[in-house]
Amino acid sequence: MSVVNYGTREITCKIVYYGPGRSGKTTNLQHVYSKLPEERKGKMVSLATETDRTLFFDFLPLDLGTISGFATRFQLYTVPGQVYYAATRKLVLQGVDGVVFVADSQSRQLAENIESLQDLHANLADEGLDPRTMPLVMQYNKRDLPAGEISAIADLDQTLNFRGVPHFSATAISGGGVFETLRSISTLVLSRLSAPATKGS
Amino acid sequence: MAKEAEKAAEEEGGEFADFLADVSKEIAQRVESLHTRATPAATEKKKTPVVADAGVIVEWPNVADRMIEEMR
Repeated sequence: MSVVNYGTREITCKIVYYGPGRSGKTTNLQHVYSKLPEERKGKMVSLATETDRTLFFDFLPLDLGTISGFATRFQLYTVPGQVYYAATRKLVLQGVDGVVFVADSQSRQLAENIESLQDLHANLADEGLDPRTMPLVMQYNKRDLPAGEISAIADLDQTLNFRGVPHFSATAISGGGVFETLRSISTLVLSRLSAPATKGS
Repeated sequence: MAKEAEKAAEEEGGEFADFLADVSKEIAQRVESLHTRATPAATEKKKTPVVADAGVIVEWPNVADRMIEEMR
């Protein structure tokens, strides 16, 4: 759980972008990174293959500076979408505070979206996290593709968004919907901020 | 303090500034509401990966081992 630490005056939140391979998770982080002011730009860590597929994960530390007297950091991660990197996805989910599920809007990718969402739920449960209450935002990406190739938002929502969480249309490649999604998940995560009463959190 | 954060956000400009302004408001509200409930025990540091310098993960035990394991 995300924590306000009064001892060190820090707030740290971990947000993971989850979804099937090639749905646009890395593209989301790249857009956020591209919009950061120079003085705030750290290094975005991307471990990718020669074909540009995310091999392990992407990591973007987002230092928001001091807010209300607290050094505030968001840590944005992506997981590799490919099925065979299950262990890495579990690893990245450790300590997660909120999840953005990036779905590929292409009709032919619907099965992959469902499989990835099921994988997310299973991995959260394995980590002892409740998939029903974990802060979650759905992003339906690639809305710029021809209408004949993509599913309607209503259909995607009916199939994937059974929790009725906030959902956003996006064209991450051009930045559309990226910050709206990030703002929404951030708000959800921050609304659950708590002060730790016992060791760890 | 919230006004300070908003002012700082305004100086950033662009999409990030809007995001920062919204996040700042939310944090200001949460910190204020939690402050009254905070206890002296609320000082443990969170056990999540942290970065000392940009791009260098310094607190993530066994991550390399897990990666190597996956590559096999």
